Amino acid sequence: MRIKVTSKLLPEVRRGKPLRVAVNGKWVDAYAGETVAAVLLAEGIQVFRHTARARAPRGVYCGMGLCYECLVTVDEVRAVRACVTPVADGMRIEIDAEPAL
Amino acid sequence: MIASYELAVIGAGPAGMEAALAAAAAGVETAVIDGHPAPGGQVYMPLPAGFEASRPAGEETEGERLSRRLDAAPLARLWNAAVWGIFPDESGSGWSIALAGAEVPRRIHARLLILATGAYDTPVAFPGWTLPGVLTCGAALTLLKNQRIAPFRRVLVSGTGPLVLSAAAHLSAAGVAVAGVCEANRFSRRALRHAPTLLRESRRLGEGAGYLSRLLLAGTPYRTGWSVVEASGEGRVEKAVIARLDAAGAPLPGSERNVEVDGVIAGYGLTPNRGLAQMVGCRLEYLPQKGGWAPWRGENLQTSLPGVYCAGDCAGIAGAENSRLEGQIAGTAAARELGKITAQQAEDFSRRVRPAWAQQQRFARALAELYPLPPGLVSLLQEDTPLCRCEEVTLGAVKQAVAAGAQTLGEVKMLTRAGMGNCQGRMCERPVTAVLLRELGAGAAPETTGSYSVRPPLHPVPIGSLLEDEDS
Repeated sequence: MRIKVTSKLLPEVRRGKPLRVAVNGKWVDAYAGETVAAVLLAEGIQVFRHTARARAPRGVYCGMGLCYECLVTVDEVRAVRACVTPVADGMRIEIDAEPAL
Repeated sequence: MIASYELAVIGAGPAGMEAALAAAAAGVETAVIDGHPAPGGQVYMPLPAGFEASRPAGEETEGERLSRRLDAAPLARLWNAAVWGIFPDESGSGWSIALAGAEVPRRIHARLLILATGAYDTPVAFPGWTLPGVLTCGAALTLLKNQRIAPFRRVLVSGTGPLVLSAAAHLSAAGVAVAGVCEANRFSRRALRHAPTLLRESRRLGEGAGYLSRLLLAGTPYRTGWSVVEASGEGRVEKAVIARLDAAGAPLPGSERNVEVDGVIAGYGLTPNRGLAQMVGCRLEYLPQKGGWAPWRGENLQTSLPGVYCAGDCAGIAGAENSRLEGQIAGTAAARELGKITAQQAEDFSRRVRPAWAQQQRFARALAELYPLPPGLVSLLQEDTPLCRCEEVTLGAVKQAVAAGAQTLGEVKMLTRAGMGNCQGRMCERPVTAVLLRELGAGAAPETTGSYSVRPPLHPVPIGSLLEDEDS
């Protein structure tokens, strides 16, 4: 995928085993060790959810599990922090990406 | 049976790893606890399990070396374990630590505690800061270095301090176009005063210089005394506005420029993650040069509560090298308190480590003076800018609360719900404080506006974790 990087400042990395996860029912490629957030961002998805009151879009902010902005539903468990949750083969991820309910 | 230890170290970053190693080496029955799948913390975060770096065999990073020593040490390692509460033990002889996590006990007991819970990027609110595509420097660096993805085409990096350069350089090296770097502080003669301290950290100065020269060679516009003042776009970042700042850090009208970007990386220094220390009951003090509210500590890093130590950035921002030394100091102090080493051994250790610790403290003070959080950034806020991201409380709502008589963070929280959400106020404490200080004017200070209170559960946890283990 184009946004998976090689960097002149970092050693080369081989990703984990290829696997598949479903994002809102659509299967996408991922690799063992990646977080849910990384997989979504790699798919070009920045909007993970909308807020309860203003229906304002939200995505990754702090990236370390503290801000609770990147919440998604994983295997029917709601309000899972995408940035600190590793993917697993067959995982079903639901995001709330549409502004209107 | 609830597992019982002489010492629990909470957090396995540089401070926690060193504290656990020092205590275990002295014969202390130690448990070290971290919410991540492996030790390292934010600064030494290892590659995820399954990823493999191609490096010459035997070449280890500092974090890998520490982590390998930790794996070999005689202690209990509890990973994927989120500490959501710490309570005085009913027997009065220590602490009951409540954990959430699939494969960890719900509670453990420890006589002494070393809290080493680290830090997070200081949130600075501006119009559009809640838009997807606005990330902290820490988030961008974790995505790049740990997950190896760069989910942007063209970004603006804005903030203050060393992480701004690091994030910008890593983004650029990963092939992302860096449309600009805004360092909110200007370099001044203040730097010269700290030259002897700074020059002794030649490795870190070299690292920063390397990042800067890489950016300048790539033709990246690098501005000092500038900041992002707004991000906007339909559903995600499409544009940022930057502006020149005055001496106080307020944007100068007329200096604004638009930048087309799909990401804004913002990092305005670090804030101690002191929630657990506060929940346990450690007395806090406001340390502007160390990132804000932090637990009071004595010379052995003991807090105001007997049997509780704090080490590393959770007690004041001073960097990874400092955290490692503080971990050793706290671990050794705990071993002494438990009678595992003699007073003489503790004294000898202290004499060895304190000069290096003092240098790290001086270096941290120098950086704090060179890269303060400009107070004028509060004037970026518009009436409808959310301050509390969780409860969607705007500047306008906080101003109304002040007009209704609120003078402290606690009162703003009661009137507006700011700080009541999932993040427990970690993200909005600083922005709401800045607004309170401005609105209240003369006489108001962080010491009078106070901090948010912290209550268990520290993080949202599954309801089952809150119940006592029936078979325990």
